[in-house]
Amino acid sequence: MLNSHAPILEVRDLKKDFDATEVIKGISFSLEQNEVLSIIGSSGSGKTTLLRCLNFLETPSEGQISVKGELLFDAADPATQREADIRKKRLHFGLVFQSFNLFPQYTALQNVTLASELLAKEQPDFRADKTRILAQIQENGLALLEQVGLSDKLDFYPHQLSGGQQQRVAIARALALNPDILCFDEPTSALDPEISGEVLQAIRRLAERNVTMVIVTHEMGFAREVSSRVIFMDGGVIAEEGPPEEIFGAPKSERLQSFLKAVL
Amino acid sequence: MSFLSVTLRLLEGFGLTVEIFLITLVCALPLGLVIAFCSMSGFRPLRYLSKTFVWIIRSTPLMLQVILVFYGPGLLWGLDSMGRTEAVLAAFVINYAAYFSEIFRGGIESIPKGQYEAGQVLGMTKNQIFFKVILLQVVKRIVPPLGNEVITLVKDTSLARVIAVKELIMIANEYIATYGLIWPLFYSMVFYLIFCGLLTLLLNYTERKLGYFRV
Repeated sequence: MLNSHAPILEVRDLKKDFDATEVIKGISFSLEQNEVLSIIGSSGSGKTTLLRCLNFLETPSEGQISVKGELLFDAADPATQREADIRKKRLHFGLVFQSFNLFPQYTALQNVTLASELLAKEQPDFRADKTRILAQIQENGLALLEQVGLSDKLDFYPHQLSGGQQQRVAIARALALNPDILCFDEPTSALDPEISGEVLQAIRRLAERNVTMVIVTHEMGFAREVSSRVIFMDGGVIAEEGPPEEIFGAPKSERLQSFLKAVL
Repeated sequence: MSFLSVTLRLLEGFGLTVEIFLITLVCALPLGLVIAFCSMSGFRPLRYLSKTFVWIIRSTPLMLQVILVFYGPGLLWGLDSMGRTEAVLAAFVINYAAYFSEIFRGGIESIPKGQYEAGQVLGMTKNQIFFKVILLQVVKRIVPPLGNEVITLVKDTSLARVIAVKELIMIANEYIATYGLIWPLFYSMVFYLIFCGLLTLLLNYTERKLGYFRV
C-alpha cells in the first residue's frame, strides 16, 4: 500500500549479527522526503553495516525496512526476500562507496549510463524505440556529469581520473537510476584532505537540490553544515539523535560528548 | 633427401600439430570456465568433485593420460578403442581444461568484491555483473598466465606420438629410423619457433589492446 503521508524511509527494530557478533542491535528511525541525515560514530559502531542493510548488500537478521509506506523487507517474512525482487527494491536506494568502485573498463560516461542501458534493454518496448531511449540515457548521463563538474572528463577512464573526480563520477552513477534515497558510505575517507573538498561540494549541491540523503561520515564540520538531522551511533544502537545544532552544540550523552571531544 | 621434400613432409606433421593445438584450445577454454565455476560453487559436493578432478589431472603425466584414454576403454571394458587422434584430443582437452580452470578461478577471485557490489546496487543481475563488469577484467588479468599455458600446449602436442599419432616430431623422427638422418629432427624446431613466435605476437597484441584500462 502506498501512503502519501508515510515517511520516505522507515526502519524498524533492525538487527544484524555476523555469526555470534551482533553488529546492529535494534535500530529504528525514519526519514522524510528532502531530509539529509548524517550518521556519525566511531569505527565499529555499525554505521556502515546499517547502510549496507538499506542497500540489501547485507540481510538484516531482524526488523523491517519500508520506503514510501511500502514494506520492502521484513526479516520475519521470506516472501519479502526473494532474490529477483531484491534486485528491483535496491533501485529505491543509491549507494556511493568509500572506495568508489567504478568499473575500470568503462569511461566516466559509460560508468554512469551502463546500468540504465541494461535496465532499458529489459523493457518490452525497447526494440521499437531503441534509438530514442539510448539517446535519452546518454543525455541524462551527460547532464549528471555536468552537475558534478566533469563535463570535460566524459571519455576518461577511471585510472586517468583523480580520486576526487572518480568519486564524483560515482555520485553521478548513483544518481543515474533516480533513487529515492541516496546513501554515502564515508565518501571522502579514501581521499586526501585537500581533495575531499570537491566531493563534499558536490554533495552540498545535491542537498541544495533537495535530494534525500543518508550520509555516513567522519567529516563532522560537513555533517553539521549539510544535515537536517544527525544520528550518533554507538555499539550498534542509536545513542543520540537530533538536529545538528543540538548534536554538535549541546550533546546530551556522555558517550557523544567524549566522541566529539576525540574527533573535533 | 632434398631439403624441399623434407620440408613438405614435416609440414604435413605440422598440420596435425596445429590441428591438435587449435581443437584443444577451442574446447578446453570453455570447459575450463565451467570447471572453474564448479570449483567455486557454494554446493560442497560439486566443489569437492571438481577440486579432486583438478588434483588428479594436474598430478599425473599428460603422456600417461593420453595412453589411458586410448587403451583404457578397451582394457577395462573390452570396448573398441577410439581413433588415435580423437584419443589425443580427448586427453588434451581434459588436461588443459583442468589447468585453465585454475587460471580462471584465480582471475575471478582476484576481482574486488566492490565491483560486484557496485553492480548489485545498480540493480544488475548476476549475469549482467559477470558478463558486463567482471569478465573483461578477468581476461585482462589472466592473459599472461594463459599465454604460458598456450605456448606450452604447442610443444605438448609432441606427446601425441606415444600412441603413434603422426605429428611433427614423429615424422621428423622417422628420418632417423628410416634413413639415419638426424637433421630433420633439429629442423623441426624451426616450425615450433615460428609458430610460438606468432602466438607470442598475438598475446602481446591482446595485452596491448586491453591496456586502455587498469585493474
